Amino acid sequence: MEIFTTFKIAASAMQAQKTRLNITSSNLANVETTSTPEGGPYKRKSVYFESKPITFANQLHSSLNSGISGVRVAKILEDESPPLKIYNPAHPDAGDDGYVAMPNINVLKEMTDMSSATRSYEANTTAIKSAKRMAMKALEIGR
Amino acid sequence: MQPINEIQVGALQPSGTGTTAVKAVEQDFANMLTNLVSDVNNQKQAADMAIQDVHAGRATNLHDTMIAMEQAEISLRFMVQVRNKAMEAYQEIMRMQV
Repeated sequence: MEIFTTFKIAASAMQAQKTRLNITSSNLANVETTSTPEGGPYKRKSVYFESKPITFANQLHSSLNSGISGVRVAKILEDESPPLKIYNPAHPDAGDDGYVAMPNINVLKEMTDMSSATRSYEANTTAIKSAKRMAMKALEIGR
Repeated sequence: MQPINEIQVGALQPSGTGTTAVKAVEQDFANMLTNLVSDVNNQKQAADMAIQDVHAGRATNLHDTMIAMEQAEISLRFMVQVRNKAMEAYQEIMRMQV
């Protein structure tokens, strides 16, 4: 049914925002991780979105709805900015000069990112609620 | 005096093309209703599967399950409305004075 298109679009956005929240929580969890399997401190990761065409049951719908699209995570990239250097010679990961390379993560930035992801998720839930309300109102016609 | 003839059954019935048309409409309506019911059933089963996935820990996200449930609900309500309309029409015809 055509009203379910809103559901599909919003669901794709919710999926994308959930991935974003996962990445943010990974960044927050690793804010003080100094060693990784790849070597060196943890690098901040961020998500990049791209639009995703919504598949329709038939061609008529796709021509009526051309231009609308869902969203998906295009790629997850590592922040290549240099790590923060903190002087702590007692640290096992400290270099010869006594400095430890800490992850390039700003907790405040991650928190705002997290709020933004949550709000976006909520906005999409509201879109679904609206679509449902509209469908319910349509079913009330003639009652 | 003219003899009273037996009424021919054929005379009361609509012409041949009319009968087939009525039959076609009946068929169409029955098909539509059957399709609708099976569609609603499919939606319900999809929602059931999604709920089971959540319970079994297989589901990757909660919102897909909720959306499947909402879709099933809307489809069911739509089917109920169609049924109500059909019943209303039937009762209207049954009340008709002939």
